[in-house]
Amino acid sequence: MEAEKEKTGQKQQAPKKQEVVIAIKGLKKSFGTKHVLKNINLQLHRGENIVILGRSGTGKSVTIQCIVGMLKPDGGSVKVFGDEVAEMDDKELKSLRIKIGFLFQSGALYDSMTVRENLEFPLTRVLKLKDRAEIDKRVEAALDSVGLLDAIDKMPSDLSGGMRKRAGLARTIIVEPEIILYDEPTTGLDPITSREISDLILSIQKKQKTSSIIITHDMECARIASDRVMIMDDGEYIAEGSFDELHKSKDKIVGSYFKDIL
Amino acid sequence: MAEEVTMPAWKRWFENIGDQVGFFFKFFKNIFAGGFEWSEFVRQCYEIGYRSMMLVGITSFIMGVVLIVQLRPTLVTFGAASMLPKTLSVSFIREIGPVIIAIICAGKIASSIGAELGSMKVTEQLDAMEVSGANSIQYLVVTRILATTIMVPILSVIGDAIGLFGGFLALNIRDSISFQLYFTKVIAALDFTDFLPAFIKTIFFGFAIGFVGCYKGFHSNKGTESVGIAANSAVVTASLWIFVIDAIAVQITSLLFYK
Repeated sequence: MEAEKEKTGQKQQAPKKQEVVIAIKGLKKSFGTKHVLKNINLQLHRGENIVILGRSGTGKSVTIQCIVGMLKPDGGSVKVFGDEVAEMDDKELKSLRIKIGFLFQSGALYDSMTVRENLEFPLTRVLKLKDRAEIDKRVEAALDSVGLLDAIDKMPSDLSGGMRKRAGLARTIIVEPEIILYDEPTTGLDPITSREISDLILSIQKKQKTSSIIITHDMECARIASDRVMIMDDGEYIAEGSFDELHKSKDKIVGSYFKDIL
Repeated sequence: MAEEVTMPAWKRWFENIGDQVGFFFKFFKNIFAGGFEWSEFVRQCYEIGYRSMMLVGITSFIMGVVLIVQLRPTLVTFGAASMLPKTLSVSFIREIGPVIIAIICAGKIASSIGAELGSMKVTEQLDAMEVSGANSIQYLVVTRILATTIMVPILSVIGDAIGLFGGFLALNIRDSISFQLYFTKVIAALDFTDFLPAFIKTIFFGFAIGFVGCYKGFHSNKGTESVGIAANSAVVTASLWIFVIDAIAVQITSLLFYK
């Protein structure tokens, strides 16, 4: 396994001399007696999309929750833009979170608000925008970019699963974050909608020059959206490389993720 | 993802108390943090106050009628039927009105806040708000607790008035007392020391209802059954707090005014 790691690591095409926006070293996190993260090391470069693959319960979501300070690590270091997240006070954490977008698995739209109000929320509460024309313009542009302008005045309960994810994505990108963390963006969607979401992730990376960590079980999403793929097992990364490099891997565990891929 | 951590009951109890104290300080800190959510506060006042008015009005009216029907035979036996307006007004304004209306509000408002915030937690809306950099305590908690703290006393005053009117109708059917005479007797029986302590305790009742509802919703577990548990637990705990506050308020009032 270590050999595999080194082998793929050598082949890895990570952008050279590019700024590291997230640096995780030796991250550990336990819940009671269950050690979820044992030794996580990860570097996300500016403009790069990393896809994290792994079985359910291996700690993929825990990793990204540690990045935004929702969970405190038990050990190791999580640095975002060079600053240690665990040492930040509330004010610093709030400033950091403005620069990081987080797309939840369910979309997490505020169900007492219309789609428009959902998108206005971060503009008025986080960016403190007051100009009505500016707010309307940004809301319409964000919804247009995910192809959901027609649903602007609908309630979340009136939207399908895919529409809710796209609305959630629009709410995430409306504040123009530098980093986006996607927690299973295509789970529960049909293959066509999944592909649309994966294409959207890629187009957001290109248009807004964002860096992203994408947690998914969807290999098509990994193929479309990833610059680099990392595979997690038993609380640590066991392999990393480009999608094609890992696809050709002879390792049994790595191969099990790619067995249905032609 | 996160496993339920098993810990001794006493440790969990202390942890729970610590969480509540922390939540209480977060609430106070955020009242004065700036950027008060006026529109959400007004919306909550409407939802909590106006939408509860019908329920409070009907139950208060019925209570006024029932109390007169129940009290009348006893007072007539002692030849004290003329004391009925006074008995009703003092008992209703001092104790029955505020407590029963607060219990009704606990059932309607604390449960709805607990369920709403609990379902927001289950569907990751609370996490989404927090992670976006918005202040979820200020938007969701401060507005709801302040709205209940203001609206429950107002509902209580309205409920008292409707209850006394219900008492008049019940009495008028049997004894044909005039509206003027009835309310003259009701107001003459009341003192400043009857109304003020009762009004002050409804402010605490309102705070307890809002606080418990928000705390239970915010600290519910992830899972659909947690929404029901949060709503149920909010009603039970808020009702318990209402009686505890009432017991303390009665002691303080009797020490200060009825020596």
